[in-house]
Amino acid sequence: MKHQISTLEETQKLIAAERILLIAGDEAVLAKLPKGRWVGGSTPYFMTPGKGGMVSRDSLFVSDITDAVATASIKKYTADSLPQVYKDCPDNGFSYIIIPALSSAHMAFALNAPNYESFGFNPLIGWIAAVHLDDLDKVKPKVFNGETGEAIEDGAIVLHAALPPGKVAEIGIINPFQQGPGDTLTFEQDGFSAADVLVNGQKQNFAEYMMKVASERDDSNEALVEGQKRNLDEYMKEKNLVTKLQLPLVADYYGALVNISFFNRIDKDKGVQFYAPVFKGVKYKLAAPLPDYVGAFAKLLDAEKVQEENILFSCNCVLNYLYSNLENKKTASFVGPVAFGEIAYQLVNQTLTYLQIK
Amino acid sequence: MEVPAATHQAWSDIVTGKKAYTLKFLAVKILIARLTQSVSLDPSPDNVQASAAQLRELFVKNMAIPAVKEDLTTIFG
Repeated sequence: MKHQISTLEETQKLIAAERILLIAGDEAVLAKLPKGRWVGGSTPYFMTPGKGGMVSRDSLFVSDITDAVATASIKKYTADSLPQVYKDCPDNGFSYIIIPALSSAHMAFALNAPNYESFGFNPLIGWIAAVHLDDLDKVKPKVFNGETGEAIEDGAIVLHAALPPGKVAEIGIINPFQQGPGDTLTFEQDGFSAADVLVNGQKQNFAEYMMKVASERDDSNEALVEGQKRNLDEYMKEKNLVTKLQLPLVADYYGALVNISFFNRIDKDKGVQFYAPVFKGVKYKLAAPLPDYVGAFAKLLDAEKVQEENILFSCNCVLNYLYSNLENKKTASFVGPVAFGEIAYQLVNQTLTYLQIK
Repeated sequence: MEVPAATHQAWSDIVTGKKAYTLKFLAVKILIARLTQSVSLDPSPDNVQASAAQLRELFVKNMAIPAVKEDLTTIFG
């Protein structure tokens, strides 16, 4: 597998050579690519092999997987047909999915994926397409079907691949967050937002609860944002994002820690919004503070013992990118798009996800 | 290693929460979390058996993955 930051012209040459490509980049650049054996999703944020974290509206992040797969087919799904996605994966293969953020397909997948037929029978890895934070209210994230040239605002694009004999695909996640020692939070219904929360079983207005938590925290810090040192609280406020709520909710799924990130500024009347849904009956805790993300991440990388040459795909979360100040910093051999959500069988947040071929 | 039949008690013990193991395979963990919740809401024998069968099938489909083999050994020895 070869992962690289490429220009439009370099990528056009790869497509012309009929390489099988996973591409991420700004929508305007993706739209200029010719038809071919590729799938793409919008984001201007990347973790790159050379520079580490970077923002670019001109460059493309390209993974050439041609030599790693035996066959590959591309299929478009709607929110209604997504329940077929696990069934469509070939035996001894994997599926790579990109879904535009905030689309109905995003909502449907997030809420229902673990209930889809054949869940987990083959690896499903992918990400939620994003936009530049400056464009949040102006531009919709998109995914691209390279075979048809179609740009999709609502739906999912999936590359189903079979592996050569003797090879196996395996998904991994690296989540630096742990459950904190505080209150146990549960919700009365599934959803991307919650007006109320049960705090240790007692019903409360969730926004009021979180405002209280935020006022007790000191999460303010500085970060390098597009080359400029910025106060992160001020930057997030400008972008209408949650301030002082950098730590996600964390659920324990039989030992797998799954984060739910806070999406929008908390509003007492509108409730609290998330990047992934909370589920009724699941017990959540706010994550324990993580003062040194890069350091914590490095320790987890050592423990994973992943060989760089085996990584077919990886992606990280835009919130980790911002909160952990990843611009110009490297996360070892894990490179790829920075997304509005990561998919490792199901939607996860603030988590590095990757697929190895061994 | 053969994957024990869905009627093996260990599958039911996992989905009913009677026994817990430290497992490695991510999809198994996610599925068990969902199945144990489902069984806690509907502990009927039919649902327990269907959940046990679904969990077993996930192992069968992923037997090529080393972590799945390790998890099987953790459960069945």
